[in-house]
Amino acid sequence: MTAEEKKVIFASSLGTVFEWYDFYLYGSLAAVIAKQFFAGLDPTSAYIFALLAFAAGFLVRPFGALVFGRLGDMIGRKYTFLVTILIMGSATFIVGCLPNYNSIGVAAPIILIVLRMLQGLALGGEYGGAATYVAEHAPQGRRGLYTSWIQTTATLGLFLSLIVILLTREFTGKEFDDWGWRIPFLVSIFLLAISVWIRLSMNESPAFQKMKEEGKVSKAPLAESFGQWKNLKIVILALLGLTAGQAVVWYSGQFYALFFLTSLAKVDGKTANLLIAASLVIGTPGFIFFGWLSDKIGRKIIIMAGCLLAVLTYFYVFPAMLKYANPALAAAQAKATVTVTADPATCSFQGSPIAREIDFRTSCDIAKRTMAQSFVPYVNANAASGSPAVIKIGDKEITAPTAKLNDKGDGFDKDSATAIAAFKKDVAAAVGAAGLSTKADDKAMNTPMVLAILVYLVILVTMVYGPIAAMLVELFPTRIRYTSMSLPYHIGNGWFGGLLPTTAFAMVAATGDIYYGLWYPVIVAAMTFVIGMLFIRETKDVDIYAKD
Amino acid sequence: MWKYIVAFVVFAALALWLLMKGGGDIDLSGEKHEVPATQPSEKANK
Repeated sequence: MTAEEKKVIFASSLGTVFEWYDFYLYGSLAAVIAKQFFAGLDPTSAYIFALLAFAAGFLVRPFGALVFGRLGDMIGRKYTFLVTILIMGSATFIVGCLPNYNSIGVAAPIILIVLRMLQGLALGGEYGGAATYVAEHAPQGRRGLYTSWIQTTATLGLFLSLIVILLTREFTGKEFDDWGWRIPFLVSIFLLAISVWIRLSMNESPAFQKMKEEGKVSKAPLAESFGQWKNLKIVILALLGLTAGQAVVWYSGQFYALFFLTSLAKVDGKTANLLIAASLVIGTPGFIFFGWLSDKIGRKIIIMAGCLLAVLTYFYVFPAMLKYANPALAAAQAKATVTVTADPATCSFQGSPIAREIDFRTSCDIAKRTMAQSFVPYVNANAASGSPAVIKIGDKEITAPTAKLNDKGDGFDKDSATAIAAFKKDVAAAVGAAGLSTKADDKAMNTPMVLAILVYLVILVTMVYGPIAAMLVELFPTRIRYTSMSLPYHIGNGWFGGLLPTTAFAMVAATGDIYYGLWYPVIVAAMTFVIGMLFIRETKDVDIYAKD
Repeated sequence: MWKYIVAFVVFAALALWLLMKGGGDIDLSGEKHEVPATQPSEKANK
């Protein structure tokens, strides 16, 4: 690898480190941000802002992929992803300077949401730009290895955010919630300065440069990418046959595994975080390894093998993780019999990502939601029409209340809120008495086995994620590459991956089976495996300039 | 290559050490995608 090639990879990867740093910052600091910017709002306004924040992640990013993908294919990769990093970095920095609700009132959450939208827009163009730029600089036969460095930035971004947040918390102490939280956002200015400085000194991608000199640059990349069936077909196949499966395997292996450890296996937060971080440290070189390997044996076989292994093993791996992490809880679950008897006509599907707690008011919904939030497995039984839901734990029967809204319609009325709280308290007591809320004991935990399972899950992530950038790049011609690869990547990861937590929760709540949520990643990964195997061609030997 | 490996190990060790020291309550699950998680604090709902 030449010094210039190293510089290309470094400059491109810095932007995606930024992307991930931001992703983890907004997760880790969600509670502080809500307190600073949304605490003074009335529930209706708060809900509107929450919807807008949701839109920033789900709609604005794919839109950004279109906007910046188009620019990248028309004016060049270098200037486009210089703009994306400037917008992204400036927006992150400004969040750190933004006065809170107490200082400027409703303008604070409005500006915050606008900044989130801008970040989302720029993010939509960042990954596609980085992958395209690196791939177009890589020699034939080494694109997998070169682009795999970009994939390691997810771990680097996580560790960077961890280091900055934990150090800031250490130094600011009790002041962290007041003003210390701003520092991690402000620190991003250094990342931005370095990124812009390096990117300014870079040359345009040779493939784009050549195309520009020959006057072959696309004048309407959006119309070419999505208006012509021969290209649109590949975009759809890239989404369903590659990125959808890649996203669910990634979300399951990292985020669902963490959720599973803390919520279902009841491992304390510190141990769970350490286990996840350690598995990432061990597994991260896998991105490079599988990127390199994909140059030798092909991208498709590795990505498809990752999806297939996920399909075949998730239903064994996650129960095993519970058994090794918290054997007492696993034993209690095997012994206990918990039944929810409810009128099925009053039970709704709880999988809407934009639903609020007050949208679930029937006795059945309250009962199942409480059980699913306690992560207690149960069986369903049908009750006579009109009768309330009853939870039976051992010999104890608890009847779930039905809730009503208050006069404003933005919360439960006082009686309902009291009844729900009392019901949840009774359920918690009965669940505790049956040993179903037993916390994991560090001494009883088989730590090496839990870590081995987590590393296995991360290795699956690296199999599907390591070669993905090279594969997406090679599917499309230079003139529409940036546009065409950015959209399936963001829809795949944002929608298929991002919806995993809510969908899995709803599936658990509906059935009472704490592993039922795994059907979501398993079905999506199976779909990707089948579509990928049948319709996606191997691309490692493709000459990406052949159709220029 | 060994320089990258050493740099990554040092970087990761620092993150793990900080986690071990006081990272029990930090949320590593990334940006929240569902609306309830981005809802304001309970204070606003009262």
